[in-house]
Amino acid sequence: MPGNKNIKLYSKNLSFFYGNNQAVFDVSIEIPQHSIVAMIGPSGCGKTTFLRCFNRMHDLYPGNRYQGEIFFDNQNILSKNIDVTLLRSKIGMVFQKPTPFPMSISDNISYGLKLNGIKNKTEIKDRVESALRSSALWKEVKDRLKLPATGLSGGQQQRLVIARALAVEPQVMLFDEPTSALDPISTSKIEELAAELKKKVTIIIVTHNMQQAARISDYTAFMYMGKLIEYDETNVMFTNPQEKLSEDYITGRFG
Amino acid sequence: MERLRKRKIQNNIAIGFSLLASIIGLFWLVFILFDVLRHGLSFFDLNLFIEDPAPPGFEGGGMRNAFIGQFMITGCAIVIGIPFGILGGTFLSEYGRMTKIGRLISVISDIMISVPTIVVGTFIYSLMVKPLGHFSGWAGSVSLAMIMIPVTLRTTEDMMSLVPWSIREAAFALGAPYYKVIIQVVYRGAIAGILTGILLSIARIAGETAPLLFTSFNNSFISLNMEEPMASLTVTIFQYATGPYDDWHAMAWAASFVIILAILLLTVLGRLLVIFKYSSK
Ligand SMILES: Nc1ncnc2c1ncn2[C@@H]1O[C@H](COP(=O)(O)OP(=O)(O)OP(=O)(O)O)[C@@H](O)[C@H]1O
Ligand SMILES: [Mg+2]
Repeated sequence: MPGNKNIKLYSKNLSFFYGNNQAVFDVSIEIPQHSIVAMIGPSGCGKTTFLRCFNRMHDLYPGNRYQGEIFFDNQNILSKNIDVTLLRSKIGMVFQKPTPFPMSISDNISYGLKLNGIKNKTEIKDRVESALRSSALWKEVKDRLKLPATGLSGGQQQRLVIARALAVEPQVMLFDEPTSALDPISTSKIEELAAELKKKVTIIIVTHNMQQAARISDYTAFMYMGKLIEYDETNVMFTNPQEKLSEDYITGRFG
Repeated sequence: MERLRKRKIQNNIAIGFSLLASIIGLFWLVFILFDVLRHGLSFFDLNLFIEDPAPPGFEGGGMRNAFIGQFMITGCAIVIGIPFGILGGTFLSEYGRMTKIGRLISVISDIMISVPTIVVGTFIYSLMVKPLGHFSGWAGSVSLAMIMIPVTLRTTEDMMSLVPWSIREAAFALGAPYYKVIIQVVYRGAIAGILTGILLSIARIAGETAPLLFTSFNNSFISLNMEEPMASLTVTIFQYATGPYDDWHAMAWAASFVIILAILLLTVLGRLLVIFKYSSK
């Protein structure tokens, strides 16, 4: 569907099961490189579940099962011989609630760097700074880098977490409702950030906010009851959706 | 109005009873502490720490052997107990959290916590003292460690379980392997609680007598050899307090004072850690 663009990531007949409980049904989707794809759909339709397949987050819990394929740089990341930790360092994730580690602001960011084998102190310091700058947090925290990250406000914590994910230079970023707990100002900061990030990374963002999806995304995918109902360029989706379900949902006429 | 008054009266009666109960409980506690303080301080002198016991019937002497023995036995117990406690707790909260074996260990360690310590003493007696044919410092340490392990294990597990899974997920999402998530993130979040648990469990074993009676027994001479019977404060207090001489009784008081002081310090330190942890947030 997304024309002849470079496809960074795509799923092919992807299904997912929590034990015997199927949450994603046969989803095939292509994510073009350097674009922002918004996932929308009513609560419980499987957006989070779907998103968490891309960095194999479901592996952490026993009984979960994937079916189908996800290709990332033409490699099936659901296959058994994939190094999951390596995969996760290339595909970053930001959660709905901020998840600062119980350590200082700068340690939060250097954590990921050290994981990736960066030991040089000055390099770490520089990359901490540039990560904080790119998530528009540097000015607010530069005088308290050594203080606990839990002392930041919710919006600042979320930008810290984004900085932390960015510091390891992932190729793809998965955002699961990153702004749902934030005020409008923090939200618009993060939206600007996403637009900026697009130059370097490919982004999938789950959101309940139609305006947000319309504002920042290039493509929009509508999910319903675990199925991908419609997927198209965002302006097409919002002005001329093909499916009745998507139209009803987007226009707020949903049961 | 009538209902309200009735409820107020009931409320006051309940408050009265619980207040009375806590006063009765506290009274004895303060009484004991005060008594130990009074006697202990009056017999307290430097000789207690720097002299070994005088032969029975002779004046003077101290408890140097018991202080040193107590330190060595407790120290070794800590060195043996803490790694098992922390690693076991880590297993329960992380790798074994959904497994049958994890739940089994959890239940067993809960039972272990409430086993009378004298039973632990006799157990180690039959395991280490009887087969070797003699009491030893090691046997004492092992029995104290056995008392310590379930306590530290459960606190470690509880404190680690308090670290939210979302934090672990965030670390995994950065590409951290599980052991690094545990060491660098989960322990970081749980450290104050774990340390408190350790301090409280040390305080707990520092006052144990029964298990040592069966294992390290006692030694009137100073000994640094863990293979031999070894003096400890608690056992010495027990023997001196039940002995026939007045100056033995005096020394038992003084030693009780020291041991209570040490336990008090450990406990207060543990509490402070908790307060510090929650105020730093
Ligand atoms: N751990 C789990 N075990 C079993 N079922 C689950 C689990 N997590 C989610 N589900 C189920 O999977 C389905 C999809 O849930 P999911 O969280 O992916 O929805 P969502 O679209 O992200 O919803 P929301 O918009 O409310 O975040 C739901 O029916 C949910 O009940
Ligand atoms: Mg969700």
